Amino acid sequence: MIPGMILKFLQDRGTIAVSGTRDTQRVPHIHYVSGWDVEPDHQTIRCTINRAYLEHLLSSLEDNGQFSLTVEQIGTHETYQLKGNYAGTAEPNAADFAAHQRMKDRFGKAVNLLFGIPEEHCRAYIWPPNVVVRFSVREIFLQTPGPGAGHRVFPPEER
Amino acid sequence: MTNGLKLPHEIRAVMNNGLPAVVVTCSADGVPNATIISHVHYVDESHIALSFQFFNKTIRNVRENPHACVSLNDLMGNMQWILDAQYDHSEAEGPIFDEMDMRIEAIASASGMSGIFKLRAADIYRVKSFRSLNHAASNP
Repeated sequence: MIPGMILKFLQDRGTIAVSGTRDTQRVPHIHYVSGWDVEPDHQTIRCTINRAYLEHLLSSLEDNGQFSLTVEQIGTHETYQLKGNYAGTAEPNAADFAAHQRMKDRFGKAVNLLFGIPEEHCRAYIWPPNVVVRFSVREIFLQTPGPGAGHRVFPPEER
Repeated sequence: MTNGLKLPHEIRAVMNNGLPAVVVTCSADGVPNATIISHVHYVDESHIALSFQFFNKTIRNVRENPHACVSLNDLMGNMQWILDAQYDHSEAEGPIFDEMDMRIEAIASASGMSGIFKLRAADIYRVKSFRSLNHAASNP
């Protein structure tokens, strides 16, 4: 199960997310995420993705199932990367659209505060969801810049 | 766009706009790794450089498997660029290293993280192809 501190981060603080896959040749691909939500099992994450980022996505997931999601809080730079296994796709539902709206609003506020770009303009940069990718989290790594970046926080590293 | 590649002139300004970029790499055993990075450096019309500050997963991955996918964001211009690149070599001194070192310190200072970043090398990548996404479209 995803630790409570990470669940809270995902729910309340993350402002931008990007996912990575790799194809059969181990060539990596970027897919920006329009929103995310954790399923009731606290192990599976739903990532909504716009059709502009579908190239290589489903073919890669069907080939090898590897999926990574990096979520950052803009401003504090607090960042985590969640790696896991593909668990299926779905059509976005009402909760996915609500998660997308929450993310857009947080992104707009954070980027406006930091860079002075109008909130409305920032919100429009996050395209609406077309597909949900579900994945089961296997590992979580701290990625906040600094010497601690890369340490695994789940499951905890053995000391 | 693919072979005979020339990065467009306007992409240079995007690399200098101060907005974070993203790099995705893949380990030899096939696990992708997505990282938000502070800076992508323009080297020439077919090469970029990424900073090697800590011996992190991105650095390890491209030495095992040289493929990388990099994205650049131009919020004001409503454009996003996605580059497919391949790690070529590292430079621990010289003009590219010096320019990146100064730029990274400036970004760190502006974001309250001065002293945390120390450039160990400029990792040079050859750009194999790129595409742009126009965010002026409300939903592509």
